[in-house]
Amino acid sequence: MKHIDTLKFVLPLLFIALLAGCDSTDPDPEGVGEEELITRLVVTMTANGQSVSYEANDPDGDGTGLQIDPMTLQSGTIYTGSIAVFDDVNGEDVGAEIAEEDDEHQFFFVPGGGAAARLSVVATDQDENGLPVGLTFQLTVADGGSGTASLQVILSHFDDAPKDGVNRSDETDIDVTFPVTIQ
Amino acid sequence: MVQVVLPELDRGTLTDSDGRYHLEGLPLDSVLVEFRFIGFEPVSRRVRIAQGENELHAVLSETTYGLREAVVSAESQADVMLTRSTRSVAVLDTRELEDMRGQTLGGMLAELPGVTSLTTGPSISKPVIRGLHSQRIVVVNAGVQQEGQQWGGEHAPEIDPFSAGRIEVIRGAAGVEYGVGAIGGVVRIEPEELPFGGPISGSVSINAFSNNRHGALSAAVGRGQGANWAWRLQGSARKAGDSRTPDHVIGNSGFQETDVAGTLGWHRGQSGFRLHASHFGTTLGLFTGAHIGNFDDLMRAIERGQPAVDFDFTFDIDAPKQEIRHDLVSLSAHTGLPSGDWLEVQTGFQSNRRAEFDAHRRFGDPDEDPAFSLDLRSWSADARVRQRPRGNITGNVGATVTTQGNKNGESGFLIPNFRSTTVSGFIHEMWVTDKLTLDTGLRYDYRWQRAFPKENLSSGPFVPRTTTYSDVSAVLGVIWRPLPHWSIASNVGRAWRPPGINELYNFGVHHGTAQFETGNPDLREERSLNVDATVRHVSERLTLELSAYRNAMDGFIFLFPENEPRVTIRGTFPAFRYVQRDVVLRGLDGFVDAKLIGRLRGHASTSIVRGSETDTNLDLIDMPADRIRAGLEWAFRDRPWLDGAAIHADVESVARQDHFPEGVDFAPPPDGYTLVHIGSSGTWTRGSVPITFSLDINNVFDVAYRDYLSRFRYFIDDPGRNVSVRVHIPFGPGNNSKRTHETH
Repeated sequence: MKHIDTLKFVLPLLFIALLAGCDSTDPDPEGVGEEELITRLVVTMTANGQSVSYEANDPDGDGTGLQIDPMTLQSGTIYTGSIAVFDDVNGEDVGAEIAEEDDEHQFFFVPGGGAAARLSVVATDQDENGLPVGLTFQLTVADGGSGTASLQVILSHFDDAPKDGVNRSDETDIDVTFPVTIQ
Repeated sequence: MVQVVLPELDRGTLTDSDGRYHLEGLPLDSVLVEFRFIGFEPVSRRVRIAQGENELHAVLSETTYGLREAVVSAESQADVMLTRSTRSVAVLDTRELEDMRGQTLGGMLAELPGVTSLTTGPSISKPVIRGLHSQRIVVVNAGVQQEGQQWGGEHAPEIDPFSAGRIEVIRGAAGVEYGVGAIGGVVRIEPEELPFGGPISGSVSINAFSNNRHGALSAAVGRGQGANWAWRLQGSARKAGDSRTPDHVIGNSGFQETDVAGTLGWHRGQSGFRLHASHFGTTLGLFTGAHIGNFDDLMRAIERGQPAVDFDFTFDIDAPKQEIRHDLVSLSAHTGLPSGDWLEVQTGFQSNRRAEFDAHRRFGDPDEDPAFSLDLRSWSADARVRQRPRGNITGNVGATVTTQGNKNGESGFLIPNFRSTTVSGFIHEMWVTDKLTLDTGLRYDYRWQRAFPKENLSSGPFVPRTTTYSDVSAVLGVIWRPLPHWSIASNVGRAWRPPGINELYNFGVHHGTAQFETGNPDLREERSLNVDATVRHVSERLTLELSAYRNAMDGFIFLFPENEPRVTIRGTFPAFRYVQRDVVLRGLDGFVDAKLIGRLRGHASTSIVRGSETDTNLDLIDMPADRIRAGLEWAFRDRPWLDGAAIHADVESVARQDHFPEGVDFAPPPDGYTLVHIGSSGTWTRGSVPITFSLDINNVFDVAYRDYLSRFRYFIDDPGRNVSVRVHIPFGPGNNSKRTHETH
């Protein structure tokens, strides 16, 4: 019988295929699903010998629960600022990587709110092309008593678009707005 | 009820149940007569018709390779088309495929009424059948259901379009025959038949496209060995650089692809087997300007309306890009049973490996280290008994089992690891007479699935989640031929699918649309009840097919905007979550092809679809806009050295999509557009070699436009004018492919 011959031929192949198909898919506890994240931005402001750090912290990356510290700044003061960036999930110092590739990155500082006009920020560092980076900066709070404002900190990544020191790119790595109280 | 077809005369009839047939008024000439019946090898005889009665007897033997579905291979004949299926079916045969060679599969299918394509740049194109795509479409390649990664609009089917000898699209639910997922339709890609008993033969195809300097080459060779064996090998390669809109280069939109396939077949008597293996490998660049950081970036890009950077043309492909490999091995065997029925078994193993590379990577080189990679392995086995015709009844009964596992690579993840097993059983019967065909069937599918998402989707350890899904699919269809040249087909089909892994467990930002997408682990089955009716007419002067349908879906799964945006350290993203609602899709599609005057023919086709939620009447997003295509073709007189030469001009007009949900999309639908395409083709016989060539200019006037279903429409226009040249050279005997004029 011809069909018996055929089945004899087919059955072992079915079996082999079955073995190949039954592969375990349990995730490895290590290494799987490692994602590149930015979880924490730390802005440190120094004036008159006093340093205060303000954090924007998103412990699970893109998850829920972004915490942003409100900033308290003194009227008529010039602050020296610096920025640190971390990936706490993978234990990485992202700020150091930004410093390494500073010609592809720039921080932008956008004041907002009622007293926006009294805040001004200038980057104090430069990349190899002489363009600002913003890992260190100077923030000036103009005189005028108490008020409220906000400070948006944006990190642009320049991949295709050329960095010109003025314009943001379409690839934003960080975009956080700190509420600001001026005393 | 054997079909008796005279292809050269466009005539035919059916035999009665005793096998007798009768045809009158035949020309006194040599006539080709073909006999066909489902499950039997077609027989062709050439006879010289003499004055008076002529008798022609034929005995059909069972097919060497199993039974085909209720469809036979040659499509030019009226009877075949009129009684093709109770469903709405569209076919691209070898000749039509030749005219489109080199395009993506999605692009080829989009020429059929009722089919459009969802594109992510020039390299990625997914078929959309009557408004549905991805996990709502089943793709069957060489008899095996394609198990690829269909998690997003930018995941195209992993199939070499050159490997197809014939493509068939079933529009509407076909759950009984194809199981879970066949809600929107089915695309069947059939390789060319094995050349049993034939000497060595093959073909070479060369294609060139101006827009992206795309070159494609394909070659096939095969032969019969002895009385029982035959083989075929086929390979193709292509490379394309950046495409251009009328005003800009679409930076990093090049692609390359290398595919090989081989088939070995054996048959003797009523038994046979076929072993098929194929490898598909591609690297696809993704337009860099569509890679954005957050919603603010997206809004600025939309406002600018064009790329921020002027790109220069290049063949280089940088990150962001995709690398996809798909391997398939299948073995099918069939044999006759003592009862006169046939037994068919088939098993297939598929491995699909997808790596996606992000534009920048902190932990490595963006061009070398993927942002994430997935490895999907699937195994399927299928056994069915095809019943020999008993009286007017024929059909098949079968069972299938499919098991698959998906594993993430070391970095990142798009969807969690999972494994699943699906078992199904079905029965499908047809009752056939020459005026009426009834078709009915039932199927039951059960799926077990275990996935390993993070505990609360976003974070925490991976935890196993086991779910099961099951439901019944059914079909009831009829074809009625009230008049010789007319048929009416109608079909009620029920199909379903389980929720996709991405729909259940997604969590994260979709680059390119800046949407924050969250899965919904509580999703249940999505069900569809599809009703359609098709009118067909075939006569010497006119071919017409018009279908109307209504697809009611219970628990349609789609992304719905949430009230609160998601605020992350990277900025703000509009938040979307997968929900289930009852929706209805309605539409019309069809075509007409008519002989106008002398050698001039005209044709037109249209596709219209509307989708809305049942309760709220809200329009569904991403439904294809209404479109119509019309054209004229002038056929030149055949010469000894030039066959089937013709020129054609087509106008394709797509309306603006005015039916969309308010406040969901980030930019209004783009304006409608009208494109003009012209072309010429023919077969030039040099010596004994018939060389088929074509020259086409698509978008002759280099019109700048954006299609609503182009995922890059926020950022850049669709590609502009494209001049293409195709040459197809067969070798070996039996390739004397006279290009008879066909309708489509």
